[in-house]
Amino acid sequence: MRSNNSLKRVSRSENLSIFLVLLIIIAAVILVEFFLVRSMDITKVAFVKPMNIANVLLQVSITGILALSMTLIMISGGIDLSIGQMMCFLGTGMAFLIKTAGWNEWGVAALTLIVAIGFQLIMGLIISRTKIEAFIVSLGFLSIYKGFTYLITNGREITIEGRFTFLGKTYLNITPAFRIAFPVIMWIALTVIVWFLLKYTKFGRRVYAVGGNENAAYLAGINVKNFKLLLYGINGLFIALATMAQLSRLGTGNPLMGEGKEIEVIAAVVVGGTALAGGKGNAWGTFIGVLMLGIISNALNIIGVNPHWQYVTRGALIILAVSLTYISSQRAASVSLNERERRPLI
Amino acid sequence: MPQDLILEMKGIYKSFPGVKVFDGFDFDLRKGEIHCICGENGAGKSTLIKILSGAYTPDSGEIYFDGKKTDIINPRVAMQTGIQTIYQEHTLFPLLSVYENLYTGNELEKGIILNKATMVSKSKEILEYLHSDISPYDIVGRLGSGGQKTVEIARGLLQESRVIILDEPTSSFSQTEITHLLNILKKLAQSGLSIIYISHHIEEVFKIADRVTIIRDGLKISTYDLKDLTEQQLIIDMVGRDVSLFYQRQKAEIGEVVFEAKNLSGNGVGDASFTVRRGELIGIAGMVGSGRTELAEILFGYKRTTSGEISIKGKKTNVKTPLNAISNKMCFITEDRQATGLFLKHAMDKNIPIASYSQTPGPFAMPGNDVKLTQKYIDLLNINTPSVFQLVMFLSGGNQQKVVLGKWFATDADIFIFDEPTRGIDVGAKEEIYKIMVELLQAGKAIIMVSSDMPELIAMSDKVMVMREGSMVAELYKDEINEENILKYSIGGSMR
Repeated sequence: MRSNNSLKRVSRSENLSIFLVLLIIIAAVILVEFFLVRSMDITKVAFVKPMNIANVLLQVSITGILALSMTLIMISGGIDLSIGQMMCFLGTGMAFLIKTAGWNEWGVAALTLIVAIGFQLIMGLIISRTKIEAFIVSLGFLSIYKGFTYLITNGREITIEGRFTFLGKTYLNITPAFRIAFPVIMWIALTVIVWFLLKYTKFGRRVYAVGGNENAAYLAGINVKNFKLLLYGINGLFIALATMAQLSRLGTGNPLMGEGKEIEVIAAVVVGGTALAGGKGNAWGTFIGVLMLGIISNALNIIGVNPHWQYVTRGALIILAVSLTYISSQRAASVSLNERERRPLI
Repeated sequence: MPQDLILEMKGIYKSFPGVKVFDGFDFDLRKGEIHCICGENGAGKSTLIKILSGAYTPDSGEIYFDGKKTDIINPRVAMQTGIQTIYQEHTLFPLLSVYENLYTGNELEKGIILNKATMVSKSKEILEYLHSDISPYDIVGRLGSGGQKTVEIARGLLQESRVIILDEPTSSFSQTEITHLLNILKKLAQSGLSIIYISHHIEEVFKIADRVTIIRDGLKISTYDLKDLTEQQLIIDMVGRDVSLFYQRQKAEIGEVVFEAKNLSGNGVGDASFTVRRGELIGIAGMVGSGRTELAEILFGYKRTTSGEISIKGKKTNVKTPLNAISNKMCFITEDRQATGLFLKHAMDKNIPIASYSQTPGPFAMPGNDVKLTQKYIDLLNINTPSVFQLVMFLSGGNQQKVVLGKWFATDADIFIFDEPTRGIDVGAKEEIYKIMVELLQAGKAIIMVSSDMPELIAMSDKVMVMREGSMVAELYKDEINEENILKYSIGGSMR
């Protein structure tokens, strides 16, 4: 059963190519810094310093949390463009209630959870009950949240001055230089949970089924409408958690705190191997995708690339990474095709 | 070649992998005649249209148009040659106006801007010629089926077509729309246009045709002038299949009633009533579009009923969603396995267990158990695959169909609804599916089978219900189940 084993390998290694791309990028960053910037002195290579690594992880953890629920939504065939602006709205709203209204911070946190899930459920209701594209509905909500944000803040940021610090400023000290921040732990824990849900539960299988073929899923006894609603509810939960972590870390409700997050998140999810058309993707792929984009940004800074060129470079690298994973998945598909041609299948 | 022929097909062969559709097909069409084509589902009518419209190229054989040998290699060539095909489904742009539709692709220009005035006035001329009260400015999507068909015919005239092919033009037409259309066609034929008219409806054929050609299994059986043709003869020519084609099935013991539908309506089905017993297979026959699939859909809760009731094992049951149906131990093997049965991009072990999740306790789905379950049905149904991790899209049609079966076997269903169980499957795999169905019956399951395949219906069914225009028009038992009877009721006619 040689072919049996090779096929198993193909199916088990769905994250392999993206993981290899990640390693290549890390190696390239180190080499470039080593030869061009630090004149061949490994002790000066800043990228591999524990402080920098902890910093990269912290920087990407918020995006990472958002990307997990986005992965669920995108595998099921949906999308949500409103997450960045929802974060701005929730974050500034929290800051307003804590600072200006002087509410209890944990009460505000609970209220944020309810509001986030509530708004996502409203959006989920519209998307699942009508035939309007999720793209358009969430674009509408993007604008609504942006309006809310500016109504709350009038365009100014609201600092919370040392309150609500637990989430963002708690660290796990592994060494004095290598401290893992709480959002990072949250990100990794949520990744494990989403991975488990997708792989070991009926819920997970249904995410793939709904994205793979909605009609067949409905005929197989899945209540597709309510299922989509559930996914947007989960998305609300994740956005609320990410917002709290971000607010707690920044110590201020900035009306731009989530600006452009949706692009960053969707890019990471797609780089991680989730199909825009749905039906395909997984939690660790997204994890690697988020990490990769974070490393690219960080490395471009360390190497000292002009910030304007960073956008160009980052975009080109994203396209390159997606192309590479696409080519390798095509190759895997053609391997199975050849196998079919060689074997007489009735 | 006689002068008055516009189109002649000689010795057309066409085959697809595993199936020979046309095996030396001959056909001719005179100038200014209306030529009707009759045949069962799958006789080769649509292949004929597709060859003439350039969608398929024949493997061999010759086509003469107006005395000249012609190769219709693609739809564009067909249109330039002067053959316009009007398909059953509308091919118009619903949001554009009538005149825009008429000129799409052939817009008239004045310099670089569109010559709207001329396009509108010419559209108006043609619509008036067709005795239609449609205005060139009407939005096509707001016209009825009859109006849209008229616009399509107008488009054919505008492109100076000499042959117009109409495939089932009157489905979803009202009676006045039918009369209007038939009058238009007669008038066009008198002006010298040739028309190929394909219809399931025997009364239309007898109203409109000059000649009738009957095809069966990719061969021309006969061509008649209408005056020489009787309904009886038409049906005899459409049937008459070799008995050796019939599958011989084993008997199963028939028990008590497990499923009963009373006066079901909705989704285009009107007032359907029937019962199914344990170990019984009832066949649902009828021409394409007669409401068979629509009936299956409401039985399974995929579409809603507007009235009527369903009883399962003697208990009145409300089947509002597929989930309700599955909980009542029903399953539905749909007509189009790729569109509504399978998750093509997913592996077999993600396809087979999916429907059983709603019936097993607990929130978990362990990959190990799923692989075991999948392997069990691979062995049971003899699915030919390199492994349980094979993506379903890489399996052959027959094996894909077995994956769909496996998905439903895993739910431990008692009432099976099959819609076209062997469509697009080669002969060997077909027999295997039949064997599986008989085993189900012997195990005390009940089967409702919608099928267009006459030998399949006759060989497999204990009882055949014939549908026509959304209603059950006949219920046939034992000796009454033969091709002539089924066809007679399917196409209507005056013999009822």
